[in-house]
Amino acid sequence: MGASKAAVVRAAARLVWRRQHILWWIYALNFSLALMGTLPFSLRLSRVLDRSLAAERLYKGFDLTVFIELVTQPDVSLRALVPGSFLFTLLFFVTMLFLTGGILEAYRYDRKLKPGEFFYSCGTFFRPFVRLLGLLLIVLVPVGVLFGLVQRWSNRLAADAPWEMLGFWVQVGGTMVMLFLFMVVRLWFDMAQVCAVAEGELRMRYAFVRGYKLTFGNFGVLIWIYLRILLATAVGLVLPLWVWVELVRPEWVAVSFLVGQALVLWWLTARLWLRASETLWYQEHGPALSAEYLDRLVA
Amino acid sequence: MRGTESLLKILIAGAVLTSGLRGAEPVELTAPPGPTAEPLAERVVAYQIDARLDVNKKTIDATELLTYRNLTGRPLDVFPFHLYLNAFQPKSTAVREARRDDRNFQWKDKNFGSIEVRSFAVAGMGDLTRQLVFVQPDDGNPDDRTVFQVRLARPVTPGAQVQFKIAFHAQLPEGLARTGYKRDFFMVAQWFPKVGVWWKGAWNCHQFHRTTEFFADFGTYDVKLTVPQSCIVGSSGEQVASINNRDGTKTVSVHAEDIHDFAWAASPDFRVVEDTWQGSVGTVKIRLLMSPGHVKQAPRYLQALKGTLERFDRWYGPYPYNRITVVDPPHGAFGAGGMEYPTLITAGTTWWMPRGVRLPELIVEHEFGHQYWYGMVATNEFEEAWLDEGINFYAEVKVMGSLYEPAASGIDLWGATLNDAGAQRLSYLGTPDTDPLTRRAYEYMTSDAYGAVSYAKTAMVLLTLEGLIGEETLRHALQAYFLRYRFTHPTGEDFLKTVEETSGQNLRWFYDQAVYGTQVLDYAVERVNSDRVDWFEKKPPAEKKGETLYRSTVLVRRKGDFIFPVEVKVKFDNGERVREKWDGRDRWIRYTYQKKAKIVSAEIDPDHRVWLDANLFNNSLTREPNRAATRKLSNYWLFLTQLFAQLLAWMA
Repeated sequence: MGASKAAVVRAAARLVWRRQHILWWIYALNFSLALMGTLPFSLRLSRVLDRSLAAERLYKGFDLTVFIELVTQPDVSLRALVPGSFLFTLLFFVTMLFLTGGILEAYRYDRKLKPGEFFYSCGTFFRPFVRLLGLLLIVLVPVGVLFGLVQRWSNRLAADAPWEMLGFWVQVGGTMVMLFLFMVVRLWFDMAQVCAVAEGELRMRYAFVRGYKLTFGNFGVLIWIYLRILLATAVGLVLPLWVWVELVRPEWVAVSFLVGQALVLWWLTARLWLRASETLWYQEHGPALSAEYLDRLVA
Repeated sequence: MRGTESLLKILIAGAVLTSGLRGAEPVELTAPPGPTAEPLAERVVAYQIDARLDVNKKTIDATELLTYRNLTGRPLDVFPFHLYLNAFQPKSTAVREARRDDRNFQWKDKNFGSIEVRSFAVAGMGDLTRQLVFVQPDDGNPDDRTVFQVRLARPVTPGAQVQFKIAFHAQLPEGLARTGYKRDFFMVAQWFPKVGVWWKGAWNCHQFHRTTEFFADFGTYDVKLTVPQSCIVGSSGEQVASINNRDGTKTVSVHAEDIHDFAWAASPDFRVVEDTWQGSVGTVKIRLLMSPGHVKQAPRYLQALKGTLERFDRWYGPYPYNRITVVDPPHGAFGAGGMEYPTLITAGTTWWMPRGVRLPELIVEHEFGHQYWYGMVATNEFEEAWLDEGINFYAEVKVMGSLYEPAASGIDLWGATLNDAGAQRLSYLGTPDTDPLTRRAYEYMTSDAYGAVSYAKTAMVLLTLEGLIGEETLRHALQAYFLRYRFTHPTGEDFLKTVEETSGQNLRWFYDQAVYGTQVLDYAVERVNSDRVDWFEKKPPAEKKGETLYRSTVLVRRKGDFIFPVEVKVKFDNGERVREKWDGRDRWIRYTYQKKAKIVSAEIDPDHRVWLDANLFNNSLTREPNRAATRKLSNYWLFLTQLFAQLLAWMA
């Protein structure tokens, strides 16, 4: 079984590689939207910095006091800029929600879909996936509440417990549990989306239940796949981060840009890798459950 | 006795409970312990306190014998006393002010603190407990009980002394600000009835405010502290004896001279780290009382403390005491951290504090600095907070910049740096114009304004003054100020005049704006331009570097109402540099040059001496734009936006 799980992870990596045009398109979208979110920031900075010698203290190093003084300038005003950038991140989120149907379809068929096919799937599953998102948020509410409680508890322990580290470890433990719960919920809804696309299921309450049964009926296998990919992702993030912090000099803007983009690209790859692994696993193990599901539907 | 009915009841109950202390007979005069060394200060007070800490109830029961020498030159029949711990009550002026300035401030019952005078007797005049009257000289808040006064049956003649015998009961708050307990840690400060200061021909005894600190006369302290035997005690002064009692307690005897306050800390968990430092007038014993989780950071405290001792000794004058105790509050007791008391300071750190974040060093440096600017040069912190906090902030900048890399004296972590002076400048920029430095601490617009102006703006004023008269001159001025006024209560004018004397300059024009005024200083290069002199020719010859003649102009503007002379450095593309001096009196000035070179840049204050300038970005202007910094920051912004977008998209 272990070999099989590893095989799914490897096959998923190959699938992402074969269908890398998806990765590049999404990356381009992410980059373009973020760029649009950055332009107002850049323009405002430009007004203050481009002709000021004080800019050197930000270019040849990163003097936090100068940076804070900069972003509190009325001409820059970080407070006014953040909502603008957030709008573009929100747009990316909505676009990704829209594209998910097409991405899963492309991975399912393991071929380059024609634009018409791709966007047909996107359009078909967009509204159902919006409804599924609503269910996801409902499920996440208790996770969020739990996290809030852990935060409050750990803060109290950090101040009141005789052992100073207790609050910290409770917070670390609580955060790990919360992240794990979030991961499980995400896995569940990922499977619901995979099922929906594979089975052409547009009724999200059924996909929600199917995802639940698939996920928790095969929890060990699926979580192992998920964790393995996330571990590989973390390892892949550490190196560029280290390079950025330790090796890239403050004034090497181009190198800094490339390292940053490598990080972004790797993070995006990880998400698609998860999607591909779930699709492949479903194709291998899902049909039997699917028949049962269809029988129930017929009944 | 004026006051509320409940207060009366408490005092009556206290009087009954402690009737043994207040007989009808006059209390006999007790001789205070004689001086053990040549006094450094004019000793006005001698406190003998015998206190017992109840670690379960978080209370202190104590008797206090205060011998007051009337050196005022006039008879005194009224004596005011501070009862600081009564500030920790919801209706007190301090708590009212906290709520006024911070709507998120919440009162918690565990923060309740109080001090109750159970008996008050005067040698030769008998019990005067019923004569005590609460007064509110600052705001008239009848619920504030942080100051009481008593009128004696007959005045204390000039040169005579009077003895007050006081029994009091104190309830410590859970650490809220500066004093109190946390679990089994006790930071006991502002804990005993303390007489006011006769200053400028009147009693000076202010209520406890949210922002104010303290003011008291110098003298001696002989304090006996009875605590559980498991407790390790740190205090102002020198511990001279420790005797174990049969009831599981011990009594620690402490003697201190030439100080004006006495604070102590106790905890069974302290880890003691000791060291010494050789100063110019003798050895100083350093005693760190570390919380268990912070022991690894003791070397950081020590390095900062020794470095600070050395620099203060060299720059300003000797540290004359033979001891300094540093109390490291445990987690959850940060409110007790970062505070100064004579020969005892409280530090502050966390177990995870990265080496690159120099907060522990900064706190120790700052609080030790107060041994000079507050401890020895004992200015009135209620009325002229800038003299201790501001001067100390300036000294902090100099010491931290000398101990560490000046550009990274606050933070040096992962490529990001923060220098102490820059951080203070940010605080100053928050409210540069609300209050003059000379405002009484409790009369600032808000407590934030108090912090920004009395701490940070003063430091900026002194850094700017340093640019004006020179670093060495200001250092000599501070040294002269310290040596002249140590162990006295100087005023702001004493300080300002000392700087004028040392520098040999009339600085009133500067003081009027920077110290007594609220003017904002902001100079800007409005425009730089290089234009060919033959610009009107229809077919001018091709531009040639070094041959084409240009008429260049630099327009400099004073945007703020603070008038200050500034230098302007103009750089040309042939490498030539011109320095102009402008008195800044007019609203603007234009410099015109005719050279075979174009302007590269113009910069006001090229040596970065005018720290009061409220906008450093408009201090310079280049003729050609350079987008490097914008590109770098935009790259960071782009990356963060991309990352955040992807994180959000995990929900999709």
